[in-house]
Amino acid sequence: MESAIQLSCFDCSLRPDRVFCDLPADALEAFDAIKTTALYPRGTTLFTEGRPARGVFMLCDGRAKLSVCSGNGRRLTLRIAGPGEMLGLSAAVSGTPYEVTAEMLDNSQVAFVRRKDMLRFLRMHRDACLQVVHLLSQDLHTAYDRVRAIGLVRTRHHPAVKAVS
Amino acid sequence: MLSPYGLEIVESCLTCKVRAERIFCDLPNAALQAFENIKYATAYPKGAVLFVEGQNPRGIFVLCKGRVKMSICSTDGKTLILKIAEPGEVLGLSATVSGKPYELTAETIDPCQVNFVKREDFLRFLKEHGDACFRVAEQLSEKYNNACHEVRSLGLSHSAAEKLAKLLLEWSSRNGEAAKQEPRMKLALTHEEIAQMIGTSRETVTRLFAELKKRQIVQSKGSTLLIRNKAALRQIAGA
Repeated sequence: MESAIQLSCFDCSLRPDRVFCDLPADALEAFDAIKTTALYPRGTTLFTEGRPARGVFMLCDGRAKLSVCSGNGRRLTLRIAGPGEMLGLSAAVSGTPYEVTAEMLDNSQVAFVRRKDMLRFLRMHRDACLQVVHLLSQDLHTAYDRVRAIGLVRTRHHPAVKAVS
Repeated sequence: MLSPYGLEIVESCLTCKVRAERIFCDLPNAALQAFENIKYATAYPKGAVLFVEGQNPRGIFVLCKGRVKMSICSTDGKTLILKIAEPGEVLGLSATVSGKPYELTAETIDPCQVNFVKREDFLRFLKEHGDACFRVAEQLSEKYNNACHEVRSLGLSHSAAEKLAKLLLEWSSRNGEAAKQEPRMKLALTHEEIAQMIGTSRETVTRLFAELKKRQIVQSKGSTLLIRNKAALRQIAGA
């Protein structure tokens, strides 16, 4: 690991640049209280497609690969998520299984919040809920771009599709 | 009141009988009253374009009645239908929230009632009403799940036959037909539109339907399609 773990969001110097993290003090304090921070090594699977949503993962630094898989093991990378992104958000909000698999590409710090705690937090903090709406809108735009790239260019086998050995 | 296109227009959300069943609409009274003040109830005929991909977002469209085709288009005119939106859905949501251009084109395929809310009014409404904000997050999550599903289907399906089988199985699981041995469904789309949903040509869809009928996997009468051999269809879908 390159850096020591930063336990409180209040000490984070990058906070003002991040869509979700730039919260009012009371919401930030509440978020600090429900999150568990840990350093995850490269290659860690944060969650797997099809599994029930346990909660959300905030990427404090580093990157994670988001991919979908077919029944026969073929894998398609949806996108690479970067620092400040919240992963597993739509599954946690809607209560449906994770729709993608998230795997760490770097050794990074990640804050985890259980689904139940996250939902209660969003209901109590309107500002945070609004940030989440912005994050989901961004995710959706990226997903539509991917649909466009695959669906309107691809004929039989898209170059992004590769078999997982 | 006199209603155009044979629609019974529900003027006020407060008196809407189906409100409780809809994710977005089932709001607390204060939020509902505020929404009532900023929305415009409008009726559209079949074939009306609510917004076009690439346009700056004017606002959101809550679909009250009827269905809307959501599609994307390539520069060479190729169209891909992402989904058929059903009543209760909020259209143009992510573009309105983010301020980025609409990412899809929305076209009515039935006469529709739509409640329109201007972007600035909607953003103010979300800031003031936490409950509504949460509902919007739920709607966006559902749309994101749907987009991931679409990526998986387009990017990882081997053949047009597999994609068509998956689509038919998905449609057959709606309207209480899921448990039936031989589910029945109304095909609301033309072969051309089905082709646009699975990213293939109209000719391929027509050929695939002919093959499915020949193998007695499906049977059609008018616009009604009966799945006679669900197991065989599942096998084609690779499920």
